[in-house]
Amino acid sequence: MTADDRTPDDVPFETVSSSEVTRGERIRATIDEWILVPARILWSDWRARVGTLIMLLYVLMGTVGVWLVDAPQIGEGERLIPPFTDPSYPLGTDSMGNDLFAQVVHATPPMLEMIVAGALFTTVMATIVGTFSGYKGGRTDKLLMMFTDILLTIPGLPLVIVIAVILEPREPWVIGIILTLNAWAGLARAIRSQVLTMREESFVEASRLMGLPTRTILVKDIVPGLMPYILVNFVNSARTVVFTSVGLYFLGILPFTNHNWGVMMNLAYTTGGALYTLRAAHWLLVPMAAIVLLSFGFILFAQGTDRLFNPRVRARHENNAGANSSDDADENSGKVSTHIQG
Amino acid sequence: MSDNSFTGRSEATKADVSAIQVDDPILEMRDASVTFDMDRGESRVLDQVNLDVQRNEILGVVGESGSGKSMFASALLDAVVDPGTLSGDITYHPDPDRSVDVLDLSPEQLRELRWEEISMVFQGAQSSFNPTTTIRDHFEETIEAHNYDMAQGMAHARELLEDLYLEPDRVLDAYPHELSGGMQQRALIALSLVLEPNVLVMDEPTAALDLLMQRSILSLLNDLQEKYDLTVVFITHDLPLVAGLADRLAVMYAFEFAEVGPADEIIRNPTHPYTRSLLKAVPNLDTPLQEMQPIEGMAPDPVDVPEGCSYHPRCPLADDVCRASNPAYHAVDDSDDHVAACFHWEQASDVLSLTTDGETEHAEIVGKQSADPVVSLTDVDVHFEQEADGGLLSIFDDPDLVHAVDDVSLDVYENDVVALVGESGCGKTTLGKTSIAAQRPTGGSVTYREQDVWDAKDGVGDVETPFEAIRRSLQMVHQDPGGSLNPNRKVQASLEAPLKHWNTGMDAEDRKERVFSMLEYVGMSPPEDYAGRYPHQLSGGEQQRVALIRALLMNPDLILADEAVSALDVSLRVEVMDLMLELQDVFDTSYLFISHNLSNARYFAGNAGGRIGVMYLGEIVEIGPAEEIIANPKHPYTKVLKWSTADLEVDQDVEEPPISSIDIPDPVDPPSGCRFHTRCPEAREACARQQPSLDEHASDDEHRVACFREYDQSHEYWESEPIDDGESTDLFADGSDAAEIESDD
Amino acid sequence: MINSYYVQRTAQAIFTVFAVITITFVLIRQIPGGPTSYVRSQLAQQSGSVDMEQINTLVEAYTNVRPDEPLYVQYFNYITSVAQGDLGTSMYYSTPVSEIMAAAVPWTVFVMSVSLVLTFGIGISLGALTAYVEGSRFDVGLTLISIFLNSIPYYVLAIILVYALGYQLDWFPIGGLVGGDVTVGLNLGFIASAIYHAALPIASFVVTGFGIQALTMRGNSIRVLGEDYIRVARLRGIPPSEIALQYVGRNAILPMYTGMMISIGFMFGGSIIMEEIFAYPGVGYYMFRAISASDYPLMMGAFLIITIAVVLGIFVADLTYGKIDPRAGQGGNRESY
Repeated sequence: MTADDRTPDDVPFETVSSSEVTRGERIRATIDEWILVPARILWSDWRARVGTLIMLLYVLMGTVGVWLVDAPQIGEGERLIPPFTDPSYPLGTDSMGNDLFAQVVHATPPMLEMIVAGALFTTVMATIVGTFSGYKGGRTDKLLMMFTDILLTIPGLPLVIVIAVILEPREPWVIGIILTLNAWAGLARAIRSQVLTMREESFVEASRLMGLPTRTILVKDIVPGLMPYILVNFVNSARTVVFTSVGLYFLGILPFTNHNWGVMMNLAYTTGGALYTLRAAHWLLVPMAAIVLLSFGFILFAQGTDRLFNPRVRARHENNAGANSSDDADENSGKVSTHIQG
Repeated sequence: MSDNSFTGRSEATKADVSAIQVDDPILEMRDASVTFDMDRGESRVLDQVNLDVQRNEILGVVGESGSGKSMFASALLDAVVDPGTLSGDITYHPDPDRSVDVLDLSPEQLRELRWEEISMVFQGAQSSFNPTTTIRDHFEETIEAHNYDMAQGMAHARELLEDLYLEPDRVLDAYPHELSGGMQQRALIALSLVLEPNVLVMDEPTAALDLLMQRSILSLLNDLQEKYDLTVVFITHDLPLVAGLADRLAVMYAFEFAEVGPADEIIRNPTHPYTRSLLKAVPNLDTPLQEMQPIEGMAPDPVDVPEGCSYHPRCPLADDVCRASNPAYHAVDDSDDHVAACFHWEQASDVLSLTTDGETEHAEIVGKQSADPVVSLTDVDVHFEQEADGGLLSIFDDPDLVHAVDDVSLDVYENDVVALVGESGCGKTTLGKTSIAAQRPTGGSVTYREQDVWDAKDGVGDVETPFEAIRRSLQMVHQDPGGSLNPNRKVQASLEAPLKHWNTGMDAEDRKERVFSMLEYVGMSPPEDYAGRYPHQLSGGEQQRVALIRALLMNPDLILADEAVSALDVSLRVEVMDLMLELQDVFDTSYLFISHNLSNARYFAGNAGGRIGVMYLGEIVEIGPAEEIIANPKHPYTKVLKWSTADLEVDQDVEEPPISSIDIPDPVDPPSGCRFHTRCPEAREACARQQPSLDEHASDDEHRVACFREYDQSHEYWESEPIDDGESTDLFADGSDAAEIESDD
Repeated sequence: MINSYYVQRTAQAIFTVFAVITITFVLIRQIPGGPTSYVRSQLAQQSGSVDMEQINTLVEAYTNVRPDEPLYVQYFNYITSVAQGDLGTSMYYSTPVSEIMAAAVPWTVFVMSVSLVLTFGIGISLGALTAYVEGSRFDVGLTLISIFLNSIPYYVLAIILVYALGYQLDWFPIGGLVGGDVTVGLNLGFIASAIYHAALPIASFVVTGFGIQALTMRGNSIRVLGEDYIRVARLRGIPPSEIALQYVGRNAILPMYTGMMISIGFMFGGSIIMEEIFAYPGVGYYMFRAISASDYPLMMGAFLIITIAVVLGIFVADLTYGKIDPRAGQGGNRESY
């Protein structure tokens, strides 16, 4: 053992540093750990890659797109121009001469706002209630879960409709939250049961015994373990928000104050007679395509991200040459030992 | 297959390999290799193995994890998992005149061979059963799949279950999760024997169980082997466990056999350096403490097995010949049946003496213990409520009370070592956690340097030592090395967390340096490399060192080591225990060491001049100096534990356990009087009525026992009738619902 | 132990219904202007007289709540009348809400249960199949198709179907429960006509819904296939078909129960959009009509009915789950291994 060649007072316990690391180095290390490594891992899975690209496309559309594409104007073009025929109206126009492409683009920012508000509300709410309830246990847990169970069984859409009818929300972020009013309950329950198991993990108990505050334990030990789950559900609830909001706009339940793909569908369906004539079909199909593509991106991303938080995959993508080589050995011998045992 | 073809082929590689042959083989394995294709090259996890299994013998196969011993087991049934490929020859002789080429069978023939002729028991009984069907279904579908007569088959199943001290009706109707680990494992053995096979291959069948349960199962296995004329291949990492059971032992190293021979020969006269080191590395009750030594180095990687003799990097005898060429098997002392694959087998016994070595001496630190206890437990009770799933009405349910700890008093001094020993579910982990203020007792008090811990926490009365200080002073090292580190954080982050919180004066660089120096101190060098790793990139021993460092960074007064070495390989245990003791010296800390293994407890507590406490069903039944407990156990239960700790004795047959029931009673409803009376061979009527206490009869100040047999002759125990346990049904009368209250145990 | 689980589960279901009734009561009072002003304006149009007493009586007739009574009396009256099956009177149809619902509920339940069974039947079969041929072209293709179909909102598919197969090709009816020419009852023509009319709504749910179930089942099956007990069962010589059903199937399907319970709520809720698109007069259709016509009693009645149906569905699923999974309903947090 190495202890033999040390003098008794050379106890590692007293060691302090003799060198300084520059601030820049530390920042670079942080960036590497939190941005570059996850990005590399995402990129290595085709599903996550395609999903990310699709999501990026919509983000660009909702930010840069609105500057590049003028807002649609009534009568700016001929009525019901078919798609892909007129370069000024790439996706054609509706029965009032509105540019459909511009409508799709200008519906994106409020939609993004709704998605972010709704998905954030769902995941944050669920994570807080789930981790708190699971980690605390006891009476707190019982009461919170009773409340959650009730919310869980109330069907979402009718509840949302009733509340939307009563409140008539106009702000996109308010709509986003209303749409996910009880969507968090299921996630909270799932997170709670995971926390219940994690709470008993040795490393969590060790942190507890070291006297680390509950806050720190939740943030450093518990939540990172739930991150894959939370992220996947963030994306899933984003999809729920898109589906529900478009559905409600389509039904005409939400007030038509924003551009929305659902509003386009509603107008095409009710006033454009898209059901009866093939001439107006594209008016209906364009917003549909916008929804399907976005939600396709969401699902692909969710399917591809489970690798993101796997430390085994992570270690392979780190810039640390030393750890890199030994990891390969470890991982492979791990594989072998499972073969041997299994 | 004929013997000629075999000798003709292998003569080129292995000189006198025929020495491993036996007169009446039931299984012959020739040049068997298992390979996996991997990115880094071919992984050879079984390397040209030649071995015969004698009819009706018990063959013990011993090796460290990753030595290929499980592959050997799978190969015997041609059951290597995909994508592994098995090559070579395996011949099965149902009787001496017939031979079956196992690797040349049609799928249907193979299906009949497995379970009807050769059957297998796996390590994890829990995971070997379908969780959604009853045990009965498992038996029935097996009987049906092989077209055996159902009534006859089930009758045999019941007989087997009774042979294994299980109640057939209860077990058959149960779902797997409703049985305790020991019951599951025994049910699995019964399931593997239901079609009356000739050969039973057991792959670490008892590794996940308590020592006592392991030994009980082994003694049952011995009976079964005789009763049903079985040939048993018993695979384990635990040499002493199988030493008494096996007729022959085969030691595996780096995917081939290093030494094969009769069990007593291997134990008394081991010739391969690896076998010798393995024997020395194993803590047991008979060897003097100074003679136990860890094996240096690591087992090889299957992709990159060293050239020449695969053991040479770790072998003290290695020379150029060993590095260049692979040794053949040499017959030891011209005996027919004892062979070793080593060039220097004749020198091994001189260089690697099994007796006094003299080099490693441990500082005796008996005198350093203080007079005032650091932690003191007085009449502590811990009762858990067993609640139903959190729901609306469960508030009104009457919960069952689990008596995890009942009325225990214990003092732990500075620089002290106390080892708590007992079976799963005896409450030793709960008692440990109570001592380090991780578990609030339901009765009694826990004090840290005369400050009541929970008063400090609740702010009751005058708090002299704040709870934060107490919290820091009492730390823990967990059983499962993999689980005790956050898998998502690097070693450095895990180790810095406590420093960040408690030593706010330290800057990032100081923290880093301190972590590095600690890593280096425990032999994890270069520290920069280890600090940047995730836990899964460390071996079990390394993970455990990191966990130990993390506890020590708090500069604690007491560390609870909860089965801290049980999950490690046998050869690593001594090494880690040595490190812990060495760190005790440096850091002035005390240990509460919890183990189900009496020899580990003895090694740990004995080397530090500490005490051993024996727990049974929530009570300490005997406590005293380590060597005293080992040499002179007084409580019948301590004697049982000592029995369960297999020594390296081979002549003595596996005896019947000195206990009248294998399964531990339900802690929800512990037996009246002396809790051990239901299993105690010495129990008399008085034991069922009265409870013996640890203090009342002072036989010896240091060594205290809670048993009426230590009371003087006037006690009514000596007058009362022995409890009748003549009927075999009694063996499981109290084995009801052996729930284990510590699931991590 | 087991009994207390069922008792507990039943109590929870009842409590949920009770909570929802309370929510509807609160919501009715929260409606801007509220039923009072709505009734008042209607009366004003009809007769010009604005007699407070008369208005309150009428409001009570429609909504079971008398605005001039103290709050707790209103609440008590509301609960008792709902408990007696009186959901008020529809303003738009001038019919008791319970009558409208009684006629509509069977049709919605019919469409939803068939959709649920088909969604899970197809999803589970395909998922298990792809797990067995993991990595093959069939697996990759089907996985991609599953993801794509799952990204289509059911109502989008519904519109496409009603447009293509209803309006354009005229293969399927574009509205109604059954054809006008059949006699109500258990005769072949009636059943055939009912299926014919429900085909498109069911297809919309199933086609967009089975994908995620297939993906889940595939993941579960792959996990179970890697378990030790599968390997042991194979060594024991258990026939592959039995391993597929008893071992893989059973253990992979069990975790999907939660998903199924969520689907019950999702589909019943979705009936509002679906039945509107297909002009299929079920509960959702009436709820949408009620919203368009500001018919609050009908709207709340429909909401309550949908919720109760979902609570019942989940309740039944929960109880059967306890029957199928031996590990359920016995505490769960007490692990004896």
